[in-house]
This record gives sequence, structure tokens and C-alpha cells, in this order.
Amino acid sequence: EGPFRHSSSVMPAYKLVYFDVRGLGEVSRLLFHASKTPFEDYEVALNGDEWTTLKQKTPFGKMPVLYVDGKPLAQSFAIARYLAREFGFAGNSPFECALVDALGDQFKDYWVEMFPFFAVGAGLKEGDQKALQKEVGEPARDTFFTMLERVAKENGSNGHLVGDSLTWIDLAIADHIITLQNFSAGFVDAFPTVLAVREKAMNDPRLKEYLDSRPVRHF
Amino acid sequence: MPAYKFYYFPIRGLGEAPRQIFALAGVEFENIGISDEKWETFQKTETPFGQMPLLEVDGKQIPQSFAICRYIASQHGLAGKTPFEAAWVDALADQYKDFNNDFKKFFYVQLGFEDGDKEEYKKEHGIPARDKFFPLIVKQIKDNGSGLLVGSSATWVDILIAEAVSRIAENVPGFFESYPEIIAHQQKVHSIPQIKKWIEAR
Repeated sequence: EGPFRHSSSVMPAYKLVYFDVRGLGEVSRLLFHASKTPFEDYEVALNGDEWTTLKQKTPFGKMPVLYVDGKPLAQSFAIARYLAREFGFAGNSPFECALVDALGDQFKDYWVEMFPFFAVGAGLKEGDQKALQKEVGEPARDTFFTMLERVAKENGSNGHLVGDSLTWIDLAIADHIITLQNFSAGFVDAFPTVLAVREKAMNDPRLKEYLDSRPVRHF
Repeated sequence: MPAYKFYYFPIRGLGEAPRQIFALAGVEFENIGISDEKWETFQKTETPFGQMPLLEVDGKQIPQSFAICRYIASQHGLAGKTPFEAAWVDALADQYKDFNNDFKKFFYVQLGFEDGDKEEYKKEHGIPARDKFFPLIVKQIKDNGSGLLVGSSATWVDILIAEAVSRIAENVPGFFESYPEIIAHQQKVHSIPQIKKWIEAR
């Protein structure tokens, strides 16, 4: 994979703390499993009491938090990018890394836009899911996935969004598609080249053991 | 050295931090301003990403201001001295983005881009967003110990935050009155010679 490797010769102790959902933390779990790096996968119940006390101990009052030899790192995509760089899933050149990053930023913008639809689909808020899908989910999807479809095609329709090997943006998009399909089957059927990225990522042999055994989660 | 072309509207906005990073890195670039009128055609014909800022490196394009900042910064020692420091730079930048997503509901009204009661929006969105985010930045500056956000020398998130603070302070008088450390950080960053020179010339 990429030019970035483990920065020290001794493996640090990793602990990932996140809710018991896939959400924005699953990409980091996938990176640990794809690289066969041991880590403590500490899950906090989404609707439990533990989070109330834990929240104040986190750097920004949010999760996921990654602890590297006890030192905390916050923000889901800063964590994912850090792990991807360490394990070789960030891109095969500085330019590729930048393109992966840009798609990650674009994903976050899309996430903010479609969040009202996501929140109701995930049961986090009350609302009219059908109406929100039409008014919020579909327009957001169309902008973002049309761009992704084009990027995937221009990359050579090789099952990757950038370059010719698995990157963290492939994993983030692939896992998110599972959520979209849970909310509304066929939701991204109009984007076959992006679906091919999902296929390739989810069938990566390095992930088979984890994907066969991980809890099935709605989001 | 590759040929860099940086495309954005001829305003500070999301373009100022990347431009200042080029300046601090001492990297030459073509600073191309695309007017509102030109943007419609440019958007349809010149870029698959449909957005600006846009960096063109020997003809290949990268969108998204943070990706552009990190790309230039990381090649010129402005992204932290270790991978963990670089990740903290990223985390602070993402936290700023979360703040700005809330804050801009007030700021766009304050700037007159959107309609609304300025005092009401300031109370509802401006002040809560500020008081949720800037204490984290103050703590980071204090814990870090160098007057900068991460490590002992300026990183791209120092430039990002200092630019945001100066833009807000210019448009919302007294907004950082109870945040002297934030003003001190902004002044420290803007007195770095290459950045000072850029600001004077823009």
C-alpha cells in the first residue's frame, strides 16, 4: 500500500471508544481489522448512562476518541486518516492522499446536509422519514453520489475511488452505503460504479473474518 | 516545483487560509480569482467537483479547502512534526468546521448575506457556538505551551483559526472580549513575517 508506514518500531496500544453503532466510527474499526492491528474496541451504549460521565473526559465532548498509548485523539476523520496513514490506506502519493481527503471532506458536507433524514431513519429523532427522504435525503444523495460516480469512473472503474488500492474513503463510503440501503433499499442503485467500490471493499479478504462476525447494525 | 493554480472567488472566505499557507511555505502559486459571473461557466466546464476553492497541480485538481491546506502544509513542514501532531491539527480543524456550521447561521445574517434579526441570531447561534468552541481552543493553547495550537511551530490550523478570528472580530465588534488568549493567538500568527507581508499586500 501507501508510502506511510508505522511510525515507530514498537506497536502502540490502541483503544477506540465509540457508541455501539457503525456511524462515523466504523471506518476506523475497519482499518484496524484490514491491517490486522490489535486494538481495544470499547463500545458505549448509545442510550445508556455511561456516556454522560464519559463525555466530560473526551477532548471535544464527542466520540469516537482514539487513545494511542493513552493519549487521546478526537474527530472521526482525523482518527481515520491517522490510522490510514499508519497502516497504509491513505493513498499512494501525496496527491492521492489529498484527493482521498477531499472526498472525505465532501462526505462530511453531505453528512451535515442529509443529517435530518439520517436522524429519523436511525431513530434518533421523531419525524416523517418518507418526507425527509424526498426533501433532504434524495437531493443530498444526488449531489454527492453523482460526484462520486464520476470520480470512480475517472479513476478507471477499478473498484476504488482513488488510485488502485483500498483507502479509508472506500471504506467510509462502503459502510455508509450499507446504512443507506438499510433505510431505503435501492437508495443508491443509480450509482453502479460507486456500488462497485462498496462491493470490492466489503469483499476484501482481509476484512472477511471481521465482517462475518461483527454485529449487524441498522446504522 | 509543480505548477500550482489556486482558484477561488476574489474574496477572503475559504480561500484566505490556503493562500496564507502558500505564503508561509514560500511556495509560488497562481492566485486566480473567479468572479460570480465567470463561476457558472467555470463550474460546468472546468471542474468535475463543482466547487471552489480548487487547487490545480500540474493540471490535476483537488477541491475542498482543508484538503488543499493539508496537501501544501504537509509538504512544507506546516502540518505538525509527527503523525500524531498532524492528526491533532486535523482534529482541531474539523472541530472548527463543526463550530462554523453552527456559527454561520448568525454570521451570514450579521454580514447581510441572509435576512434576520442580528441580535436574536447572535444570542441563538453566535454566542453559544463561540462559547462551545473557543474554550477548547484556549485550553489547547494553554496545554500546548508554545502560544500556538500544536507543537512548537505554526501549523495550518493556526492560520485557519487566526483568519477566522480576525474576520469575525472585524465584523462583530467586541466578540472576543472575554477571550484574550484567542486574540493573542491571532496576533501571534499574523505577526509571522511571511503572513504579515501577505496580509499587508492583499
